[in-house]
Order: sequence, then structure tokens, then C-alpha cells
Amino acid sequence: MTDITSAETAVSITVDGKKVTAKPGELLIDACERNGTYIPRFCHHSRMQPVGMCRMCLVEIDTGRGPALQPSCMIECSNEMVVDTQSKKTIKAQEGVLEFLLINHPLDCPICDKGGECPLQDQTMAFGPGESRFIEEKRTYRKPIPVNENVFLDRERCVLCDRCTRFADQVAGDSLIHFIDRGNKTQVNTYPDQPFSSYFSGNTVQICPVGALTAAPFRFKARPWDLTEVESTSTFDSVGNRISVQESRDRVLRFTGVDSDSVNWGWLTDKERFIFEAYSNENRLSGPLTTNEVAEGSQKHAVATSWSEAYEKFVKAINETTPERIAVIGGSRLTNEAQYIWSKIAKGIIGTDNVDAQLDDGFSPEVLLSLNPSTIDKTCKPGGVIILLGADPKEELGALYLRLRHAILQDQCKLIELTPTKTGLSQLATHSIRVPPGKTLEAVKALSGEPSELEDDILKELTKVQKIIKNNDSISVLLGRTSLAETSSIVEEGAIKLQEYLPKASFLPLLRRGNINGAIDMGLSPGLLPGRCDLEEGSDKLQNYWPTCPTHKGFKTKEMFEAATDGQIDVLILLAADPIMDFPDSQLVQEALDRIETVIAVDIFATDSVLQADIVLAAATATEIEGSFTNLEGRISPIRKSVTPPGTARPDWMIALDLVQYLVPNLGPSTFKELCEEISLVSGIHKDFDFSKVEQIDKEGVVLNRGKNKTQTSLIKIPKQKANSFRLVVTRSMYDKGVLSAHSSALKGLAPGSRIKANPKDMEKLGITSDSTVRLIGLKGEIQTRLTPDPETTRGTIHALWNQDGPDIRKLIDSSLPVNDLKIEKI
Amino acid sequence: MSYLKGFLVTFRQIFQKRVTTPYPSQKRAKPERLHGRHVLGRYEDGMEKCIGCELCAGVCPANCIYVRGADNPIENPVSPGERYGFVYEINYLRCIHCDLCVEACPTGAITESKMFEFSFTNRNDAIYTREELLVDSESGKPKQLPWEDWREGEDLNTSGWLRATSPNGDASYEGQIAWSGDLGYGIRKAEIGQSDTETLEEEQ
Repeated sequence: MTDITSAETAVSITVDGKKVTAKPGELLIDACERNGTYIPRFCHHSRMQPVGMCRMCLVEIDTGRGPALQPSCMIECSNEMVVDTQSKKTIKAQEGVLEFLLINHPLDCPICDKGGECPLQDQTMAFGPGESRFIEEKRTYRKPIPVNENVFLDRERCVLCDRCTRFADQVAGDSLIHFIDRGNKTQVNTYPDQPFSSYFSGNTVQICPVGALTAAPFRFKARPWDLTEVESTSTFDSVGNRISVQESRDRVLRFTGVDSDSVNWGWLTDKERFIFEAYSNENRLSGPLTTNEVAEGSQKHAVATSWSEAYEKFVKAINETTPERIAVIGGSRLTNEAQYIWSKIAKGIIGTDNVDAQLDDGFSPEVLLSLNPSTIDKTCKPGGVIILLGADPKEELGALYLRLRHAILQDQCKLIELTPTKTGLSQLATHSIRVPPGKTLEAVKALSGEPSELEDDILKELTKVQKIIKNNDSISVLLGRTSLAETSSIVEEGAIKLQEYLPKASFLPLLRRGNINGAIDMGLSPGLLPGRCDLEEGSDKLQNYWPTCPTHKGFKTKEMFEAATDGQIDVLILLAADPIMDFPDSQLVQEALDRIETVIAVDIFATDSVLQADIVLAAATATEIEGSFTNLEGRISPIRKSVTPPGTARPDWMIALDLVQYLVPNLGPSTFKELCEEISLVSGIHKDFDFSKVEQIDKEGVVLNRGKNKTQTSLIKIPKQKANSFRLVVTRSMYDKGVLSAHSSALKGLAPGSRIKANPKDMEKLGITSDSTVRLIGLKGEIQTRLTPDPETTRGTIHALWNQDGPDIRKLIDSSLPVNDLKIEKI
Repeated sequence: MSYLKGFLVTFRQIFQKRVTTPYPSQKRAKPERLHGRHVLGRYEDGMEKCIGCELCAGVCPANCIYVRGADNPIENPVSPGERYGFVYEINYLRCIHCDLCVEACPTGAITESKMFEFSFTNRNDAIYTREELLVDSESGKPKQLPWEDWREGEDLNTSGWLRATSPNGDASYEGQIAWSGDLGYGIRKAEIGQSDTETLEEEQ
């Protein structure tokens, strides 16, 4: 997007007798709106290509050849253009179009979900003729047909504006809804027997200018005038999409996307859009729980308790052991403020450095801190080169995927993929290279001209990539985990090498979990203190506020669990973390939890891990708290309270502030305001940021200037793959068995299930068909399953999806190995 | 003697027509358009007219109506169409009987009877629920609750009768019936128009 340009390139037009300035190439309808003249429209949407379908925006335009009616959404502004939006001809045309649109549009506004916020309703009132001359019968269709699990289509109401179909085709790239039939019978529909299965289908409901597309979770729940809305941030993934949270009678009923130029452009994934159902699920934890003391050998079970008793038990558990035997895992669901105060409890009061917000599914913070920071806008800079080192943005960070897709298709960005599996962007990539799992560093070496052990055809492709990179100075790297069955160092080493080779390249880490970037900024990582400084550097600044400070770097999550199995951990605090579900090596977690004496969980649902906890503190969730969120760019945006939490559940920062008082009486902060002030005082990167005024930030948020540190990593040795063994690649898919999806009725059934895929040539060689059951044998365990042949899967690998129904893939993962190789046995 | 003078007024009044009535055993006729307790009507086939659109709640100046809609069960629909009034509550401690809800209703589901004599000993009883407001599914007559004082004819002039003139007051629509029938009453007759003086005189 260009800014309002200098005087030489700006275009001067006359709108209703008033001289205004337009950007070159700007559409007339946008230029008029920016200058305060609203032209009615249905099909025009500023984030999509114009089509001129609805004819509602007809205005009289004179470009020197006399005034003529033209659709203002299709006309670019030109110099000396004279526009009349109020002329008799314009008004007659607009009234005619509306009367025409209403010929077949049913007047069932009283039962239509759009009624009250409907552009057709509003514009009929403002620009319509007032009466219709049509007395014949209207065209009818079967009332709503489901186009997928969550979206209903009412073809009677459709005015054929092409917004949803254009969105599906241009923006999301899932052109699964189209116009069918001709003339009076033209209708939007899906292909026969093929649902509109797009991760982004909910956006079509939001942009539909009539009530033709409605969302099942909101269907008949409330009328738009019942809703109270606040602008907040989606905490579901780390893109930090701006959303509007809409509530009625203390119940969140809808999320809609807010058009933020620098983040999500108004788009949301269906998962983010419909996840609110989980927040009002009746199974939410509504108060603190503790396990009652029972006789030896019998099952312990949770009973409700009071907050003060739960706090006392917490303090007792902490005081009974030494700091280095205490571990804290999680924290990415929390707001920045809550993360800081938990970081203070763990590191500044208890004095342990065994704190990690990542569950071995991210990157080491030292590496992240040493890379050039980037933003989404910088990554999507027109004409730039984007290198994808791992993770499929379509599956993990949907809104970012839409931005990348736009950058590639509309802004001439070139995408280079160096991933072991095909991703949602592969079709658009200039070069989509399948790097064998574990060989990321080799690929980067080859790219920088060093000798590498990759196969010749890959090397040939990489030389072509080299040329593209050489001729471009806007290079961005998207850094994500290529596979959950391998160590993070594989990609980390590649990234560090890439930074050496391309010192100007900037890096966008695709850590997926909610506010994980905030957690790292606030010190919820081993070896880090708030403000992204290390233990030595930060302790001076903190000594006035923190009673103590750890001196030695603590364990990462994986190391904590390994230590726990050796009996080195007594107390484990889970901050909204569910390691049983989310940690790759489930057996290690279970062994560890069995040996840990006291498990304390702060969570919103009774997850598998919470069920094993001894003290459970019920927390409030994102729609119930005030606070702030840091996204993957380091952009801080507000989280706003909309409804009250269930029962006596409390915001995380409140729980933490209470605990501070129980642990060290009279130690500050004691109020939210003091907490906000303390963060700005102790954290270097937040020193210019006022957390108490976060709700005044506009929808674009504020990007922190985080700088970068130096780092060294030691190379890890990746074992050579043995002949006849298969390397396991585990990636996430958009929908899985995650606790929030499981508690949201709209998302529950969408998980694809575990499809374990192999290359058909490999299968043929082993004599396996898709019908034969095979045994997959890893170092730690084995599963029985069928294999799905998939020519896209790299030879010599097995590709599985994370956290799905069906055989538990985690049994095959041993997190102590850098890569996991499997054997296949036919049964 | 002067006290007899005083009685003169009394004696004069004895033979005149009495203006008071022994309320509540006897009640005066109520004005035809009196706004009493609401009823939720049914179509002649027994289906509820309310579609849960919440326009009544939206227009209510006293904020006394709470409506929530829901998907009509396909097997056994409550109202015609996709949506029905799943929750319908009127709080009579707030209601000012302004009748704006009746005007807003797109299906003529909510109307007002002539019955206004009801009182409560409990604030919860003042909130009438859908079950209490709906007319009887057999007879189409309003449900008469124990604390309400219903008299003959108080349930008559509801529904279509109230919309007998066009909203714009256009005389050419007078007498035209453009509303649906009611369970138990059929299609109600149109109200006498304002300009239709002949019928007016006849009736009088």
C-alpha cells in the first residue's frame, strides 16, 4: 500500500464540486470514501480485486467527454475527473439498482441474522426508492443449505455480489464455491458433494453484504443490536489478529475480524473465529481445586477448595523444597502482565531458573534473540524474497498465510521453500524444494556455496535459488519447526548459517502458541530475565524489585522432564500448559509426572495434565481479562475484557499478585497499575511503553524495538539414516485434538484424523498396499496402522499429523534423539 | 332548618343516574383500544406466530421484553419458518403498556388484551414467560392465571383488529383485511374506519 504520495504524482479530482486529492491508481470509490463521500456498494471490498458486479456504485463521471454513469469501483482516478454522486441520473440509477436487487430478495429480515447490520437494509433505507413496483412472486430456493460444517447458505437472499466467491478464489485460494447456472437462476453454490472446506470460510460470512451466508455458531443466538462489542486481540495464535469480541447477556457470541493494515486485514481463520465457544463451555474450571488426602494406595480425587486454602497449599509446597527442585512450564496463554508477574514469582521470589514457556515445540530463545527481527509488512514487502525454512503457515498461522499468499500473488514476492513436506504455499512457490528431514543446515550450506551432502537434483534447484537471492536485497526468512519429531537445533543451525550468509535478511519466527513472544520478552525462558536480557545483565536492574535472582541457567522443558524422571524435581507449576497432550514425547512426560511430588496447575479446563495436578487454580480467559498481547513481530496490542469469568475463576495476574503476597508479604506490586509501572521500570525493551494505557492503542498496535543479541550454538550431529529405515516427520494441522477445539462444538469434528503417509514407491518396494496393516517401530515404542500412499511425501520418510485421533504417533517419538528413524514391518 | 338545606343536595342526587360502579364485583366497559396484558397468538393451525425476531424487545422503551430465538425443530416446528421464539419474557413491573411492541411485530404475534387487573406478591411472578403469554393451544384463548381478573370479552379485540388501519393512515386501506387468522377466532373483522361514518352511525 502506497502512502498519500507527493504533489507531483497525486491526482486531483472534483467530487460534488469539491476538489480532492487521490492517489495514483486509486479506485474512485475508495478516493471518495477517504474524502468523506460515501458511495453505496455491495460487491466492492477494499481487500479484494474489483469486479463491478452489483452496479450499486454507479455515479456520473466526466473525464472530459461529458458525464456518463460508470461504476466507481472499477474506475481509477484520473486527473481533472469530475464526479457527481448526487445528480438526478445517479440517484435514479442507484434507486433502480436497489429496486432490482430487492425483486428476488426475500423480506425475511426479522428472522435473518444479518438484519440490523445488513448493508442491503441500510443502503435501501439511505439510497432506495422507498417502494417496490414488483408484485409478482419471488424466486425461491430451499432455505439454508450447509456449505460446510459452520456456514449456511441461503440462496434466496443472495444478491450475487461475488464477494464470497472472490474471497474463496483470490484470498483463501480454496475456490470451492462458485456461481452456477445462468440468468435468473444464477446462484452461488459448492460443487456437488464437495463442501466448502476452507480454513477461512468464516470470513465469507463476515463480508457477505446480505444474510446469504450465516455462521452456524451465531445462528439465531442474538440480534446485532443486542451485542456489545469491544476490540481485542485474538490470543489463539501468535499472529495476534485484531478481533471484535461481541457479547450479549454476559456471554460471548461472536468474534469478527477487525481490518488492521499491519496484521490481519480483517481476516480470521475459522478456528480463531469460532474458538469463543470453548470459553463459555460449561466444563470450564470455576474455582480452585485440591486433592484430598486419602489412604495410601487409593485413587486421589479433586475437591473444591477456597482460594486462600489453595494459596496456602501452594506456599507450603514451595517452602518444603529448594528452588532448584521447582520447575515452571507454560505461560503462553497469559497476558504480558501476567507473564511478568509469574516470571517474578518463579525467578525473583522462588529463585528457580527452571522456567520454560515452550513445550519443546519452538526454538531456543538465544537463537531467536540473535536473528534480525522482522515484521509481517517487512516480510510481505512487494518484490521481496521469502524463504520458508519450516512449518506450514496455512496449518499453523492462518492469517499470516493469507498475507503471504497476497504478497506472492499480487505483490510479486518470490517464495523459496526449504521444507521436508509440501505446504499450503508450495503451489505458489517459485522454488519448492523438499529438503530431507534433518538436512536443513546442508541446504543452507549449499545455498551459500559451501559443499554439502545433498542429492544432485536438490543442489541444482538450489543454484537457481542462489541467483534469485543474489539479485534481491529484501530477503525475509520464515522460521518454523519443520517437524515435531526432530530437535529444534536442526532449523536453528540452518537459520544461524543463513544469517551469516545473508546478514541483511530478517527473520520472522513462526512460534505458534498464543503469546509465546510475550513470554520470552517477560523472561519465561531458561536463562532470560524480563526485557530479553540474560541472567548477569539483568540482575542489576532487578535488584530493587526482585528479592532474589537465579545465577545459573536452568532447564528447558525437555531437560526438566528428564530431571524429574531422575527425581530431581519436587514441584511442577503448569501455567496453562498441557504437556501430556502437547509435549512430543508423551511417555517421558508421564514418567516425570508420576515422580513429581506436587503438581500445581493454573488453567481454564481440566486437561489431562490438570487432572494429575494436586492444586488447581482456575483462571480467567482472554475474553474475561484486561491486558496486552505481544505477537510474533513484537507488536503489542490490547486484550479487552468483555464478560465475567465463571464462578470464582480469576485473571492470571490477580492469582499471581495474590501469590506474591502469600510468599513475601508487602512485596510489590499490589495493584494492576503498580504492576504495569514495574514492567516499564525493569524491562529495557518496555521502558517506553505504558501498560496501563494499553487500551488506548489503536488497531495497528505498537511494535517493540527489541534489538538482538549475539549467540553461539554448538553443532549437533545428525545420525545418518540407515538403509530401509524411514525418518519420521510430524507436522501440525489446523484442526487437532487441542483442548480449546475439543470444547468448541463448531470445531470439534473438524480434525482430519491421523493420516500416516508414505511415498507409494517406498510402499511398493516393501510390498505394502493401503489396505495392509503395518507395524511402525521407533526406539521407544511401536504402533500398528495403515499407510496412506502419497506421492508428495519424500522418499524414505513417513509423514504424520500431530495430535489427531487414531494411533498415537507420540509413542514413536524419543525426544532425546535429534531425529527419529522408524522401521516398518508388515504384519 | 339550615341543615335541611344541606340535605337538599343529597336528595337531588338520589334520583339521578349513578356514576360509580361497585368495583371489582362489577366493571365498567373498557375502551376498545385499551392496552392490557399481552398475549402471544397462534395461527389457526396451532403454530405460534412469534418468530423470535426481537423487534418488540428492540423497540420497547421500558426494556421489559427479553426474547431469544432458536432454530425451529425440523420434525416438529413451533412456528412457520426457520426461527421461533425460544425464550419470551415480559416483566410487568416495567411494562408501561405503550403498545409499541404490537406495532413492531412483523407477524402480529404479540397483541394486547383488555385485561389489566393483575397483581403479584413476588417479583418473579411479574415476569411472564412464554408459556403464560401464549394462548391456549386448543381454544386459542388467553391463559387465565390465578391472580388475574378476566371478564367477558376482554380477550376479543386483539390481533388483526388492532392493525385495521394502514400505518400511514391511508384511508384507501380502510377495512381491508391483510392479516392472518387466529386460533379459535378465525380471521378477525376489520375495525371500523375513521372516515367510514355510515357504519359508525349504524353501530351506534
